[in-house]
Amino acid sequence: MTSVHVSDIEPQDVLIVLRHPPHGSHWLREGIDVALVAAAFGQRVGLLFQGDGVYALLEGQQSGALGQKGTHPQLAMLEMYDIDSLWVSAAALSERGLSVDELMLPVKPLSAEAVAELIQAQPHTLIF
Amino acid sequence: MLLHLLNRSPQSTAVYRDLGEAFGVNDQLLLIEDACYAALPAASGVLAAFGGRISVLEEDLVSRGLAGRVSPAITVVDMKGFLALTETHERCVSWF
Amino acid sequence: MLNYALLVHGAPYSHQAALSALRFADTVVTSGHRLVSVFFYHDGVHNASALMSPPQDEVHLAEGWQRLHQDYGTQLLVCIAAGLRRGLLSADEANRHGLASHNVEAPFELTGIGQLVDAMLNNDRLITFAP
Repeated sequence: MTSVHVSDIEPQDVLIVLRHPPHGSHWLREGIDVALVAAAFGQRVGLLFQGDGVYALLEGQQSGALGQKGTHPQLAMLEMYDIDSLWVSAAALSERGLSVDELMLPVKPLSAEAVAELIQAQPHTLIF
Repeated sequence: MLLHLLNRSPQSTAVYRDLGEAFGVNDQLLLIEDACYAALPAASGVLAAFGGRISVLEEDLVSRGLAGRVSPAITVVDMKGFLALTETHERCVSWF
Repeated sequence: MLNYALLVHGAPYSHQAALSALRFADTVVTSGHRLVSVFFYHDGVHNASALMSPPQDEVHLAEGWQRLHQDYGTQLLVCIAAGLRRGLLSADEANRHGLASHNVEAPFELTGIGQLVDAMLNNDRLITFAP
């Protein structure tokens, strides 16, 4: 897997880091909500999927028991909100045996060095 | 240059790993709440990625009975010191 | 002097997060800075419950937040989407939903996530306290 170079990272106004998987808690959902609202307010928003947050990107997710909504419908709305700066920790993917080809969105894999550089470059970062 | 706030015990290795990936060469780490346990010498392995730029919140250490057990490489700060770290670092991110 | 805002994700009396946040808030305002707002999100919305009744020998978190508003004008902003789901309603919202009682009262205000974005963009510092 080829990782994005540090120089290719374009700073956004707001970076939301998503570290939690879907369904088990509301962290992911509430983090994406912040991203969508910030974008609706005219901010350039980037998303970084890190740790178990990469599981948000798996294909084939569904609603849970009792109609528990997943986060995949929210992620499907990102494009409508012009959120297209999507990054993923390459280490988080490989630790979980995943590759970018099997994910539901076109995310750019970042090396550890690039993850640090990304976070340094953003004026505002929130972690969920 | 960021200040990273961390509140999880060193047994929560995933958050230490993700923070390690995001940590910049001039960043600072402040351990609060259950992350105070990472200030014990036995936990030094999980802090290796943070290059000695690590502080720990005194009152959270004291309440946990850890006041005399802190690794000498870690700076102990009180609430004023915590505030001062947020003054000198323009951005603060919290890991949990 | 810097303008601070806090983001609180932790429920009261479940995790230390809300206590840490209140303690930090007190340090901010007594050190010559301005604490513009506290935004309660995720389980942090429970900090706004007017029905919170801790034992007398424990800190009363809701009163602690209210004191910041009274003494320093800090806005106490509760995410409406996170709050409604978890049963945190003002009188207006209770009416709207046909419910007989409510548990969010001034100075706590139910408001949108836009206010969090605003707090992030328009203050010198945003400090998050999570469980």
